Amino acid sequence: MTERPNGEVWTAEELLGRLERGDTFFVLDVRNRDEFERFRLEGRRPVPAVNIPYFEMLELGGKDEMLDSVVAYIGRDLADQLPSDRPILAVCAKGDTSEFAAQGLRRLNYTSANLKGGMKAWGEFYATRALAEGPDLAIYQVSRPARGCLSYVVASAGKAIVIDPLRHLHPYLDLARVRGLAIEAVIDTHGHADHISGGRALAGKTGASYYLHPYDAIHPVDVLPATFPYEFIRDGQMFPIGRHELEALHIPGHTLGLVAFRLDDRYLFTGDSIFIRSIARPDLGGKAETWAPLHARSLRRLLGLPGGITVLPGHFSSLDEADQTGRFAASLDDLKTRNDGLVALQRESEDGFVRYLLDSLPRYVPEYVDIKRVNAGLVAPAEEDAATLELGKNVCALSQAYASGGR
Amino acid sequence: MSQVFDKTLDARGLNCPMPLVNARKELGKLELGQVLKVLATDRGSVSDFQGWAKVAKNMVLVGQETEAGEGANVYVHYVKRTA
Repeated sequence: MTERPNGEVWTAEELLGRLERGDTFFVLDVRNRDEFERFRLEGRRPVPAVNIPYFEMLELGGKDEMLDSVVAYIGRDLADQLPSDRPILAVCAKGDTSEFAAQGLRRLNYTSANLKGGMKAWGEFYATRALAEGPDLAIYQVSRPARGCLSYVVASAGKAIVIDPLRHLHPYLDLARVRGLAIEAVIDTHGHADHISGGRALAGKTGASYYLHPYDAIHPVDVLPATFPYEFIRDGQMFPIGRHELEALHIPGHTLGLVAFRLDDRYLFTGDSIFIRSIARPDLGGKAETWAPLHARSLRRLLGLPGGITVLPGHFSSLDEADQTGRFAASLDDLKTRNDGLVALQRESEDGFVRYLLDSLPRYVPEYVDIKRVNAGLVAPAEEDAATLELGKNVCALSQAYASGGR
Repeated sequence: MSQVFDKTLDARGLNCPMPLVNARKELGKLELGQVLKVLATDRGSVSDFQGWAKVAKNMVLVGQETEAGEGANVYVHYVKRTA
């Protein structure tokens, strides 16, 4: 690819900015149809897209060269589906093939851009945002926007605890270096099913202790124990961090070993229990009927905490759940009025709420059993396999059942 | 599995879309009934060759194999010219 006449390129970071602002653009995705169905761009609003695999453009365009085929195919067969009043972002798996599509669009006088690094770069992009920042206390929300995964760095007096670190470690190591923080403890709120935890690896790299509730060190389907050393988390245990401390609250339901962390009456790291718009599903261990009542009791326990406490969840399902600054945080009192699950919890009886949970389950994701195996150290996938396991957005919340029809 | 072939295209080290673009060009130089063996290191080529075979009217994908190479797998595709 030598020809790049005035080609506009969007990085993953620029793409996030546009998605958060709700900018208007169109997507021409040239990956194969399975890849497109499994993992597509989503913003505050749906991003309109058309998916034509590049090999179809090549074959149906009928020319020897990719660019000539793209121009022939788009000009003849796709023109009536493409808008001329907004930019068209060309997207593929790694960003090379979509460059041909972006160039072809330019030749046909469309405004186009290429997504740099493709969906791989977008899927592995991390954003770090401060929720509080001072020498006494700093809290950073580290998100992986394409997957809807959230993690946290809590820092005080030069010390840091990392909660639910995601698979790539650079966001945490970079933050610690830039802010001069010593990472003293790494905590997983639970054994994750939707993504590969970076917990053990980060603890290994920084010399920090790795903490997990022992119930989640057992794979729920295989019933096999984790193969690595870890420190037990107990209900009520205090984790000192500089001039503050985090209190562990064991709240089984989404998993048997799920733990939330409370920093005074100010912050509540809820893991996979209360999200912004919805609550976590109770069925990923394969025991929905048995675990749903536990989940209900745990959620009631959290509901009894001071209403002004800021909920910091482990996931989001849509960028639309962020506040105007792109942060995923809200007070418990606020969520009591607008979180689907908490509204139902306050409205329903114990039995009624269990029925609500069981009636709201989204599709079961087969890969999640394998991801839990990775997180229990039972298997160790190569990088490409790890990336494939993690492809697409998490399905840990109930509300996706209504949002996407439970695909 | 040992697949019979008439010509080999080495597309190892090339990124998408070049393994498929080059394979399509080479296929056009074959006689009807001949088979091209394509070597690629781009993992996405496996599903892409399958998708290509569904839309192309002049070829069939007669076999695919994965061989463990040095540092990276080699994905082997056999395409037969039929028209």
